[in-house]
Amino acid sequence: MTVLNRFFVVLLFSIGRVLADEAEVNGLHVLMKMTHAMEVLNYQGTVAFLRNGKLEPMKYVHAAKKGVEQERLSSLNSPMREIIRDSNRVSCLYKDTQQIVIDHRPFERSFLVDIPRKLDNLGAIYQFEIVGEEDVAMLPSYVVAIQAKDNFRYSRKIWIEKRQFLPLKVVIYDRTGESLEQVVFTEIEVKDALPFVDINFSETAPQVQHIRQQRSQSSAQAPFVVTNIPQGFREIFFTRRPMHKTGQLVDHLLLSDGFASVSVYMENKNGVMKSGLQTAGAVNSSSRTIGDSQITVMGEVPAETVNYIAEGIKLKGLKD
Amino acid sequence: MPEDLNQKISQFLDNELDPVHALNLLKEMQLQSELPDKMHRYEAISHAMKTDFFILTKSDFSKKIHKQIQQEPIYLLPQHKPIKRRHKVIALAASIAIVAVIAERSMNHQTEQLQAASTLIAAQHQTYKPVVYPHQAEQRPLNTRINEYLQAHNSSVYTNGEANFQPFARVTTYSQK
Repeated sequence: MTVLNRFFVVLLFSIGRVLADEAEVNGLHVLMKMTHAMEVLNYQGTVAFLRNGKLEPMKYVHAAKKGVEQERLSSLNSPMREIIRDSNRVSCLYKDTQQIVIDHRPFERSFLVDIPRKLDNLGAIYQFEIVGEEDVAMLPSYVVAIQAKDNFRYSRKIWIEKRQFLPLKVVIYDRTGESLEQVVFTEIEVKDALPFVDINFSETAPQVQHIRQQRSQSSAQAPFVVTNIPQGFREIFFTRRPMHKTGQLVDHLLLSDGFASVSVYMENKNGVMKSGLQTAGAVNSSSRTIGDSQITVMGEVPAETVNYIAEGIKLKGLKD
Repeated sequence: MPEDLNQKISQFLDNELDPVHALNLLKEMQLQSELPDKMHRYEAISHAMKTDFFILTKSDFSKKIHKQIQQEPIYLLPQHKPIKRRHKVIALAASIAIVAVIAERSMNHQTEQLQAASTLIAAQHQTYKPVVYPHQAEQRPLNTRINEYLQAHNSSVYTNGEANFQPFARVTTYSQK
Protein backbone atom coordinates (compact mmCIF):
# COMPACT_ATOMS: atom_id res chain seq x y z
CA MET A 1 0.00 0.00 0.00
CA THR A 2 1.45 3.30 -1.02
CA VAL A 3 1.65 6.32 1.23
CA LEU A 4 -1.10 8.00 -0.80
CA ASN A 5 -3.44 5.03 -0.34
CA ARG A 6 -2.77 4.99 3.39
CA PHE A 7 -3.56 8.69 3.53
CA PHE A 8 -6.93 8.17 1.85
CA VAL A 9 -7.82 5.22 4.11
CA VAL A 10 -7.04 7.29 7.22
CA LEU A 11 -8.96 10.23 5.78
CA LEU A 12 -12.06 8.13 5.07
CA PHE A 13 -11.89 6.50 8.50
CA SER A 14 -11.63 9.91 10.16
CA ILE A 15 -14.59 11.26 8.16
CA GLY A 16 -16.63 8.20 9.15
CA ARG A 17 -15.83 8.68 12.84
CA VAL A 18 -16.62 12.38 12.66
CA LEU A 19 -19.99 11.66 10.99
CA ALA A 20 -20.78 8.97 13.56
CA ASP A 21 -19.90 11.33 16.42
CA GLU A 22 -21.98 14.03 14.74
CA ALA A 23 -25.04 11.71 14.63
CA GLU A 24 -24.52 10.78 18.28
CA VAL A 25 -24.09 14.41 19.32
CA ASN A 26 -27.22 15.31 17.39
CA GLY A 27 -29.13 12.49 19.04
CA LEU A 28 -28.10 13.77 22.46
CA HIS A 29 -28.81 17.33 21.40
CA VAL A 30 -32.33 16.48 20.22
CA LEU A 31 -33.04 14.55 23.43
CA MET A 32 -31.92 17.48 25.57
CA LYS A 33 -34.09 19.85 23.53
CA MET A 34 -36.99 17.45 24.04
CA THR A 35 -36.49 17.43 27.82
CA HIS A 36 -36.59 21.21 27.85
CA ALA A 37 -39.64 21.41 25.54
CA MET A 38 -41.56 18.93 27.67
CA GLU A 39 -41.07 21.14 30.72
CA VAL A 40 -41.81 24.61 29.33
CA LEU A 41 -44.43 24.16 26.58
CA ASN A 42 -48.21 24.04 26.91
CA TYR A 43 -49.53 21.19 24.81
CA GLN A 44 -52.45 18.80 24.62
CA GLY A 45 -53.62 15.89 22.52
CA THR A 46 -54.67 12.27 22.48
CA VAL A 47 -52.12 9.72 23.55
CA ALA A 48 -52.32 5.94 23.50
CA PHE A 49 -50.51 3.74 26.00
CA LEU A 50 -49.89 0.18 24.84
CA ARG A 51 -48.65 -1.98 27.69
CA ASN A 52 -49.13 -5.63 28.56
CA GLY A 53 -51.24 -6.12 25.45
CA LYS A 54 -53.70 -3.43 26.60
CA LEU A 55 -54.36 -0.26 24.63
CA GLU A 56 -55.34 2.74 26.74
CA PRO A 57 -56.13 5.90 24.79
CA MET A 58 -56.25 9.08 26.90
CA LYS A 59 -56.62 12.81 26.57
CA TYR A 60 -53.39 14.49 27.63
CA VAL A 61 -52.80 18.05 28.81
CA HIS A 62 -49.52 19.63 29.91
CA ALA A 63 -49.72 23.12 31.39
CA ALA A 64 -46.61 25.09 32.29
CA LYS A 65 -46.21 28.54 33.77
CA LYS A 66 -43.21 30.13 35.49
CA GLY A 67 -41.49 26.83 36.12
CA VAL A 68 -44.60 25.14 37.52
CA GLU A 69 -46.00 22.18 35.60
CA GLN A 70 -49.20 20.17 35.66
CA GLU A 71 -49.87 16.98 33.69
CA ARG A 72 -53.41 15.65 33.24
CA LEU A 73 -54.68 12.43 31.71
CA SER A 74 -58.35 11.60 31.18
CA SER A 75 -59.28 8.07 30.16
CA LEU A 76 -61.50 7.63 27.13
CA ASN A 77 -62.55 4.09 28.05
CA SER A 78 -63.67 2.43 31.27
CA PRO A 79 -62.66 2.52 34.03
CA MET A 80 -63.17 6.27 33.68
CA ARG A 81 -60.54 8.17 35.61
CA GLU A 82 -58.59 11.38 35.67
CA ILE A 83 -54.94 11.43 36.66
CA ILE A 84 -53.18 14.64 37.61
CA ARG A 85 -49.50 15.13 38.32
CA ASP A 86 -48.69 18.25 40.32
CA SER A 87 -44.94 18.49 40.99
CA ASN A 88 -44.34 15.51 43.29
CA ARG A 89 -47.93 14.35 43.66
CA VAL A 90 -50.01 12.07 41.43
CA SER A 91 -53.76 12.10 42.09
CA CYS A 92 -56.07 9.59 40.44
CA LEU A 93 -59.86 9.99 40.58
CA TYR A 94 -61.83 6.91 39.58
CA LYS A 95 -65.09 8.46 38.39
CA ASP A 96 -67.25 5.33 38.64
CA THR A 97 -66.48 4.65 42.29
CA GLN A 98 -65.43 8.18 43.28
CA GLN A 99 -62.34 6.58 44.80
CA ILE A 100 -59.36 8.92 44.96
CA VAL A 101 -55.75 7.81 45.19
CA ILE A 102 -53.15 10.38 46.15
CA ASP A 103 -49.64 9.13 45.51
CA HIS A 104 -46.46 11.01 46.32
CA ARG A 105 -43.84 10.38 43.64
CA PRO A 106 -40.91 12.78 43.89
CA PHE A 107 -38.70 10.74 41.57
CA GLU A 108 -40.82 10.91 38.38
CA ARG A 109 -41.53 13.83 36.09
CA SER A 110 -43.73 12.64 33.21
CA PHE A 111 -46.36 10.07 32.25
CA LEU A 112 -44.97 10.02 28.71
CA VAL A 113 -41.27 9.36 29.14
CA ASP A 114 -38.81 10.01 31.93
CA ILE A 115 -35.50 11.29 30.61
CA PRO A 116 -32.59 12.06 32.94
CA ARG A 117 -31.61 15.72 32.98
CA LYS A 118 -27.96 14.84 32.41
CA LEU A 119 -27.45 12.55 29.45
CA ASP A 120 -23.79 13.03 28.69
CA ASN A 121 -22.62 10.68 31.44
CA LEU A 122 -24.74 7.78 30.09
CA GLY A 123 -22.45 7.15 27.13
CA ALA A 124 -20.99 4.04 28.77
CA ILE A 125 -24.34 2.22 28.81
CA TYR A 126 -26.40 3.81 26.02
CA GLN A 127 -25.69 5.02 22.53
CA PHE A 128 -27.80 7.95 21.32
CA GLU A 129 -28.28 8.29 17.62
CA ILE A 130 -30.69 9.78 15.10
CA VAL A 131 -31.60 6.79 12.95
CA GLY A 132 -34.19 8.33 10.68
CA GLU A 133 -36.99 10.76 10.11
CA GLU A 134 -40.65 9.73 10.07
CA ASP A 135 -44.08 11.28 10.44
CA VAL A 136 -46.10 10.61 13.58
CA ALA A 137 -49.56 12.10 14.03
CA MET A 138 -48.94 13.75 10.65
CA LEU A 139 -45.96 15.64 12.06
CA PRO A 140 -42.40 15.20 10.78
CA SER A 141 -40.11 13.89 13.50
CA TYR A 142 -36.59 12.66 14.23
CA VAL A 143 -36.26 9.03 15.22
CA VAL A 144 -33.74 8.90 18.06
CA ALA A 145 -32.47 5.48 19.07
CA ILE A 146 -31.33 4.97 22.65
CA GLN A 147 -29.41 1.76 22.12
CA ALA A 148 -28.40 -0.26 25.18
CA LYS A 149 -24.74 -1.26 25.07
CA ASP A 150 -25.25 -4.40 27.19
CA ASN A 151 -27.99 -6.93 27.90
CA PHE A 152 -28.94 -5.55 31.31
CA ARG A 153 -31.42 -3.04 29.89
CA TYR A 154 -33.82 -2.48 27.03
CA SER A 155 -33.26 -0.24 24.02
CA ARG A 156 -35.69 2.54 23.16
CA LYS A 157 -36.66 4.77 20.29
CA ILE A 158 -38.22 8.19 20.62
CA TRP A 159 -39.91 10.03 17.76
CA ILE A 160 -39.33 13.75 18.43
CA GLU A 161 -41.26 16.40 16.53
CA LYS A 162 -38.86 18.50 14.46
CA ARG A 163 -40.18 22.00 15.18
CA GLN A 164 -41.21 21.97 18.85
CA PHE A 165 -39.11 18.95 19.93
CA LEU A 166 -41.97 17.24 21.75
CA PRO A 167 -42.01 13.44 22.01
CA LEU A 168 -44.66 11.97 19.72
CA LYS A 169 -43.89 8.30 20.20
CA VAL A 170 -41.82 6.17 22.58
CA VAL A 171 -41.17 2.47 22.07
CA ILE A 172 -39.30 0.03 24.31
CA TYR A 173 -37.74 -2.97 22.55
CA ASP A 174 -36.49 -6.26 23.88
CA ARG A 175 -33.16 -7.70 22.76
CA THR A 176 -34.70 -9.34 19.69
CA GLY A 177 -36.15 -6.02 18.55
CA GLU A 178 -39.72 -6.88 19.53
CA SER A 179 -41.79 -3.95 20.79
CA LEU A 180 -42.67 -4.32 24.49
CA GLU A 181 -44.35 -1.02 25.26
CA GLN A 182 -45.50 2.01 23.29
CA VAL A 183 -46.70 5.48 24.05
CA VAL A 184 -47.88 7.34 20.94
CA PHE A 185 -49.73 10.57 20.24
CA THR A 186 -52.48 10.38 17.64
CA GLU A 187 -52.87 14.17 17.64
CA ILE A 188 -51.13 16.96 19.49
CA GLU A 189 -51.27 20.75 19.51
CA VAL A 190 -49.14 23.38 21.21
CA LYS A 191 -50.90 26.31 22.86
CA ASP A 192 -49.68 29.61 24.22
CA ALA A 193 -51.26 28.80 27.56
CA LEU A 194 -53.38 26.07 29.11
CA PRO A 195 -55.27 26.32 32.38
CA PHE A 196 -54.16 24.58 35.56
CA VAL A 197 -56.80 22.52 37.31
CA ASP A 198 -57.08 23.14 41.02
CA ILE A 199 -57.63 19.89 42.87
CA ASN A 200 -58.51 19.99 46.51
CA PHE A 201 -59.54 16.56 47.65
CA SER A 202 -60.50 16.33 51.24
CA GLU A 203 -57.66 14.22 52.54
CA THR A 204 -59.80 12.94 55.38
CA ALA A 205 -62.64 11.73 53.14
CA PRO A 206 -63.20 7.98 53.48
CA GLN A 207 -62.81 7.32 49.74
CA VAL A 208 -59.34 8.91 49.63
CA GLN A 209 -56.46 6.45 49.66
CA HIS A 210 -53.25 8.18 50.60
CA ILE A 211 -50.01 6.61 49.46
CA ARG A 212 -47.47 8.74 51.20
CA GLN A 213 -43.90 8.25 50.15
CA GLN A 214 -41.84 8.30 53.30
CA ARG A 215 -38.90 10.59 53.43
CA SER A 216 -35.95 8.98 51.73
CA GLN A 217 -33.57 7.40 54.13
CA SER A 218 -30.00 6.33 53.75
CA SER A 219 -29.67 2.93 52.15
CA ALA A 220 -27.21 2.18 54.99
CA GLN A 221 -30.35 1.59 57.06
CA ALA A 222 -31.52 -1.12 54.68
CA PRO A 223 -31.37 -4.61 56.21
CA PHE A 224 -29.90 -5.95 52.96
CA VAL A 225 -27.05 -5.26 50.60
CA VAL A 226 -27.27 -5.39 46.80
CA THR A 227 -23.99 -6.84 45.59
CA ASN A 228 -24.96 -7.37 41.94
CA ILE A 229 -25.67 -3.93 40.56
CA PRO A 230 -25.36 -3.70 36.76
CA GLN A 231 -23.17 -0.94 35.37
CA GLY A 232 -24.86 2.46 35.29
CA PHE A 233 -27.48 1.72 37.96
CA ARG A 234 -27.35 3.79 41.12
CA GLU A 235 -29.46 4.12 44.24
CA ILE A 236 -32.24 6.73 43.93
CA PHE A 237 -33.85 6.32 47.34
CA PHE A 238 -34.54 3.91 50.15
CA THR A 239 -37.60 3.92 52.37
CA ARG A 240 -39.48 1.68 54.76
CA ARG A 241 -43.23 2.04 54.57
CA PRO A 242 -46.46 0.17 55.29
CA MET A 243 -47.93 -1.68 52.34
CA HIS A 244 -50.69 -4.14 51.55
CA LYS A 245 -53.98 -4.22 53.41
CA THR A 246 -52.28 -5.36 56.56
CA GLY A 247 -50.01 -2.33 56.63
CA GLN A 248 -47.01 -4.61 56.77
CA LEU A 249 -43.71 -2.73 56.71
CA VAL A 250 -41.81 -3.21 53.48
CA ASP A 251 -38.29 -2.01 52.69
CA HIS A 252 -38.06 -0.41 49.27
CA LEU A 253 -34.84 0.46 47.45
CA LEU A 254 -35.07 2.12 44.03
CA LEU A 255 -32.22 1.84 41.53
CA SER A 256 -32.06 3.59 38.15
CA ASP A 257 -29.74 3.96 35.19
CA GLY A 258 -31.54 7.11 34.04
CA PHE A 259 -34.01 5.40 31.70
CA ALA A 260 -34.74 2.07 33.38
CA SER A 261 -35.50 1.66 37.08
CA VAL A 262 -35.45 -1.36 39.36
CA SER A 263 -37.11 -1.68 42.78
CA VAL A 264 -35.94 -4.04 45.48
CA TYR A 265 -38.58 -4.95 48.08
CA MET A 266 -38.02 -6.88 51.27
CA GLU A 267 -40.71 -8.01 53.70
CA ASN A 268 -41.34 -10.88 56.07
CA LYS A 269 -41.72 -14.26 54.41
CA ASN A 270 -45.32 -15.02 53.51
CA GLY A 271 -47.26 -17.62 51.61
CA VAL A 272 -48.50 -15.25 48.94
CA MET A 273 -45.28 -14.41 47.17
CA LYS A 274 -43.79 -17.28 45.26
CA SER A 275 -40.15 -17.62 44.39
CA GLY A 276 -39.34 -17.26 40.72
CA LEU A 277 -39.83 -14.95 37.79
CA GLN A 278 -43.04 -13.15 36.89
CA THR A 279 -43.51 -10.96 33.84
CA ALA A 280 -45.98 -8.41 32.45
CA GLY A 281 -44.81 -6.78 29.23
CA ALA A 282 -41.60 -4.86 29.81
CA VAL A 283 -41.78 -5.30 33.60
CA ASN A 284 -40.17 -8.36 35.14
CA SER A 285 -40.03 -9.39 38.75
CA SER A 286 -37.97 -12.01 40.54
CA SER A 287 -38.70 -13.25 44.06
CA ARG A 288 -36.64 -15.35 46.42
CA THR A 289 -36.59 -16.20 50.08
CA ILE A 290 -33.60 -15.50 52.28
CA GLY A 291 -34.02 -16.69 55.85
CA ASP A 292 -37.33 -15.30 57.07
CA SER A 293 -37.41 -12.58 54.46
CA GLN A 294 -39.03 -12.38 51.06
CA ILE A 295 -37.01 -10.45 48.48
CA THR A 296 -38.63 -9.20 45.27
CA VAL A 297 -36.78 -7.35 42.53
CA MET A 298 -38.97 -5.61 39.95
CA GLY A 299 -38.28 -3.29 37.05
CA GLU A 300 -38.69 -2.50 33.36
CA VAL A 301 -35.54 -4.46 32.55
CA PRO A 302 -34.96 -7.94 31.10
CA ALA A 303 -35.71 -10.97 33.26
CA GLU A 304 -32.00 -11.78 33.45
CA THR A 305 -31.35 -8.42 35.08
CA VAL A 306 -33.90 -8.79 37.89
CA ASN A 307 -32.63 -12.34 38.45
CA TYR A 308 -29.03 -11.14 38.54
CA ILE A 309 -29.83 -8.40 41.06
CA ALA A 310 -31.98 -10.74 43.20
CA GLU A 311 -29.25 -13.37 43.35
CA GLY A 312 -26.78 -10.78 44.62
CA ILE A 313 -28.87 -9.61 47.58
CA LYS A 314 -27.51 -10.49 50.99
CA LEU A 315 -29.06 -9.85 54.36
CA LYS A 316 -26.93 -7.87 56.75
CA GLY A 317 -25.87 -9.93 59.73
CA LEU A 318 -26.76 -13.20 58.03
CA LYS A 319 -23.80 -15.43 57.35
CA ASP A 320 -23.73 -17.34 54.05
CA MET B 1 -138.32 -48.62 -26.81
CA PRO B 2 -137.38 -45.03 -25.98
CA GLU B 3 -139.34 -45.33 -22.74
CA ASP B 4 -137.50 -48.52 -22.01
CA LEU B 5 -134.13 -46.83 -22.68
CA ASN B 6 -135.07 -43.87 -20.52
CA GLN B 7 -135.91 -46.23 -17.67
CA LYS B 8 -132.66 -48.10 -18.11
CA ILE B 9 -130.68 -44.83 -18.06
CA SER B 10 -132.42 -43.86 -14.86
CA GLN B 11 -131.69 -47.26 -13.32
CA PHE B 12 -128.06 -47.01 -14.48
CA LEU B 13 -127.64 -43.66 -12.78
CA ASP B 14 -129.22 -45.04 -9.60
CA ASN B 15 -126.90 -48.05 -9.81
CA GLU B 16 -129.94 -50.36 -10.06
CA LEU B 17 -129.23 -51.85 -13.50
CA ASP B 18 -127.59 -55.28 -13.65
CA PRO B 19 -124.21 -55.51 -15.44
CA VAL B 20 -125.53 -57.26 -18.52
CA HIS B 21 -128.19 -54.61 -19.16
CA ALA B 22 -125.73 -51.84 -18.23
CA LEU B 23 -123.24 -53.10 -20.81
CA ASN B 24 -125.97 -53.24 -23.42
CA LEU B 25 -127.03 -49.72 -22.54
CA LEU B 26 -123.46 -48.37 -22.96
CA LYS B 27 -123.22 -50.10 -26.35
CA GLU B 28 -126.52 -48.53 -27.35
CA MET B 29 -125.26 -45.11 -26.20
CA GLN B 30 -122.28 -45.44 -28.52
CA LEU B 31 -124.65 -46.05 -31.43
CA GLN B 32 -127.19 -43.33 -30.62
CA SER B 33 -125.53 -39.96 -30.15
CA GLU B 34 -128.51 -38.35 -28.37
CA LEU B 35 -128.45 -40.93 -25.54
CA PRO B 36 -125.30 -39.62 -23.78
CA ASP B 37 -126.88 -36.15 -23.72
CA LYS B 38 -130.03 -37.59 -22.28
CA MET B 39 -128.06 -39.44 -19.61
CA HIS B 40 -126.26 -36.20 -18.77
CA ARG B 41 -129.62 -34.42 -18.30
CA TYR B 42 -130.95 -37.19 -16.12
CA GLU B 43 -127.78 -37.13 -14.07
CA ALA B 44 -128.10 -33.36 -13.56
CA ILE B 45 -131.73 -33.66 -12.47
CA SER B 46 -130.88 -36.49 -10.11
CA HIS B 47 -127.96 -34.56 -8.61
CA ALA B 48 -130.12 -31.47 -8.11
CA MET B 49 -132.85 -33.45 -6.41
CA LYS B 50 -130.42 -35.22 -4.06
CA THR B 51 -128.33 -32.17 -3.01
CA ASP B 52 -128.82 -28.43 -2.58
CA PHE B 53 -125.82 -27.70 -4.77
CA PHE B 54 -125.65 -28.24 -8.45
CA ILE B 55 -122.51 -28.06 -10.55
CA LEU B 56 -123.20 -27.91 -14.21
CA THR B 57 -120.64 -29.83 -16.18
CA LYS B 58 -120.46 -29.58 -19.89
CA SER B 59 -121.38 -32.63 -21.89
CA ASP B 60 -118.02 -32.75 -23.58
CA PHE B 61 -116.08 -32.59 -20.28
CA SER B 62 -114.82 -36.15 -20.45
CA LYS B 63 -114.01 -35.82 -24.11
CA LYS B 64 -111.84 -32.80 -23.47
CA ILE B 65 -109.93 -34.66 -20.79
CA HIS B 66 -109.45 -37.56 -23.11
CA LYS B 67 -108.22 -35.20 -25.81
CA GLN B 68 -105.77 -33.53 -23.41
CA ILE B 69 -104.37 -36.91 -22.40
CA GLN B 70 -103.87 -37.79 -26.03
CA GLN B 71 -101.94 -34.54 -26.55
CA GLU B 72 -99.59 -35.16 -23.59
CA PRO B 73 -95.96 -35.38 -24.83
CA ILE B 74 -94.17 -38.68 -24.69
CA TYR B 75 -90.82 -38.54 -22.88
CA LEU B 76 -88.18 -40.53 -24.68
CA LEU B 77 -85.46 -40.01 -22.03
CA PRO B 78 -84.56 -43.06 -19.95
CA GLN B 79 -86.83 -43.33 -16.97
CA HIS B 80 -85.65 -43.90 -13.43
CA LYS B 81 -85.74 -47.40 -12.32
CA PRO B 82 -88.65 -48.08 -10.09
CA ILE B 83 -87.70 -47.91 -6.42
CA LYS B 84 -87.42 -51.29 -4.86
CA ARG B 85 -89.45 -52.12 -1.82
CA ARG B 86 -86.27 -52.57 0.24
CA HIS B 87 -85.14 -49.07 -0.65
CA LYS B 88 -88.52 -47.68 0.29
CA VAL B 89 -88.23 -49.26 3.73
CA ILE B 90 -84.74 -47.87 4.23
CA ALA B 91 -85.84 -44.39 3.09
CA LEU B 92 -88.80 -44.52 5.43
CA ALA B 93 -86.59 -45.58 8.36
CA ALA B 94 -84.08 -42.79 7.62
CA SER B 95 -86.87 -40.22 7.40
CA ILE B 96 -88.28 -41.32 10.74
CA ALA B 97 -84.79 -41.12 12.29
CA ILE B 98 -84.23 -37.56 10.95
CA VAL B 99 -87.63 -36.45 12.19
CA ALA B 100 -86.84 -37.95 15.60
CA VAL B 101 -83.48 -36.12 15.82
CA ILE B 102 -84.97 -32.79 14.75
CA ALA B 103 -87.82 -33.17 17.17
CA GLU B 104 -85.42 -33.99 20.03
CA ARG B 105 -83.20 -30.99 19.25
CA SER B 106 -86.18 -28.75 19.02
CA MET B 107 -87.36 -29.92 22.42
CA ASN B 108 -83.83 -29.47 23.89
CA HIS B 109 -83.59 -25.98 22.41
CA GLN B 110 -86.90 -25.08 23.97
CA THR B 111 -85.65 -26.45 27.28
CA GLU B 112 -82.40 -24.46 26.98
CA GLN B 113 -84.35 -21.31 26.20
CA LEU B 114 -86.45 -21.89 29.24
CA GLN B 115 -83.32 -22.53 31.33
CA ALA B 116 -81.62 -19.42 29.89
CA ALA B 117 -84.67 -17.36 30.65
CA SER B 118 -84.80 -18.66 34.19
CA THR B 119 -81.02 -18.08 34.57
CA LEU B 120 -81.44 -14.53 33.30
CA ILE B 121 -84.24 -13.91 35.75
CA ALA B 122 -82.11 -15.39 38.52
CA ALA B 123 -79.08 -13.31 37.46
CA GLN B 124 -81.17 -10.15 37.55
CA HIS B 125 -81.87 -10.84 41.17
CA GLN B 126 -78.26 -11.63 42.05
CA THR B 127 -75.25 -9.37 42.48
CA TYR B 128 -72.68 -9.42 39.68
CA LYS B 129 -69.78 -11.79 40.18
CA PRO B 130 -66.94 -11.72 37.62
CA VAL B 131 -65.96 -14.98 35.99
CA VAL B 132 -62.75 -16.28 37.54
CA TYR B 133 -60.84 -19.00 35.77
CA PRO B 134 -58.88 -21.42 37.93
CA HIS B 135 -55.42 -20.14 36.97
CA GLN B 136 -56.59 -16.54 37.41
CA ALA B 137 -57.92 -17.30 40.85
CA GLU B 138 -54.64 -18.96 41.66
CA GLN B 139 -52.71 -15.90 40.45
CA ARG B 140 -54.97 -13.27 42.03
CA PRO B 141 -53.41 -12.82 45.51
CA LEU B 142 -49.95 -12.93 43.94
CA ASN B 143 -50.92 -10.42 41.26
CA THR B 144 -52.48 -8.13 43.86
CA ARG B 145 -49.25 -8.18 45.84
CA ILE B 146 -47.05 -7.63 42.78
CA ASN B 147 -49.33 -4.83 41.55
CA GLU B 148 -48.90 -3.11 44.90
CA TYR B 149 -45.18 -3.33 44.28
CA LEU B 150 -45.70 -2.02 40.74
CA GLN B 151 -47.71 0.93 42.06
CA ALA B 152 -44.84 1.76 44.41
CA HIS B 153 -42.36 1.28 41.57
CA ASN B 154 -43.85 3.60 38.92
CA SER B 155 -47.14 5.24 37.91
CA SER B 156 -47.99 2.87 35.03
CA VAL B 157 -50.79 1.41 37.17
CA TYR B 158 -52.71 4.68 36.80
CA THR B 159 -52.44 4.78 33.01
CA ASN B 160 -52.88 1.10 32.18
CA GLY B 161 -54.55 -0.37 35.25
CA GLU B 162 -53.27 -3.39 37.09
CA ALA B 163 -50.82 -5.56 35.16
CA ASN B 164 -51.55 -9.24 34.77
CA PHE B 165 -48.29 -10.82 35.83
CA GLN B 166 -47.67 -14.32 34.54
CA PRO B 167 -44.96 -16.83 35.34
CA PHE B 168 -42.02 -15.99 33.11
CA ALA B 169 -41.56 -19.58 31.92
CA ARG B 170 -45.13 -19.73 30.63
CA VAL B 171 -44.82 -16.45 28.74
CA THR B 172 -41.47 -17.30 27.18
CA THR B 173 -42.83 -20.66 26.10
CA TYR B 174 -45.69 -18.91 24.32
CA SER B 175 -43.28 -16.38 22.78
CA GLN B 176 -41.01 -18.96 21.20
CA LYS B 177 -41.00 -18.74 17.41
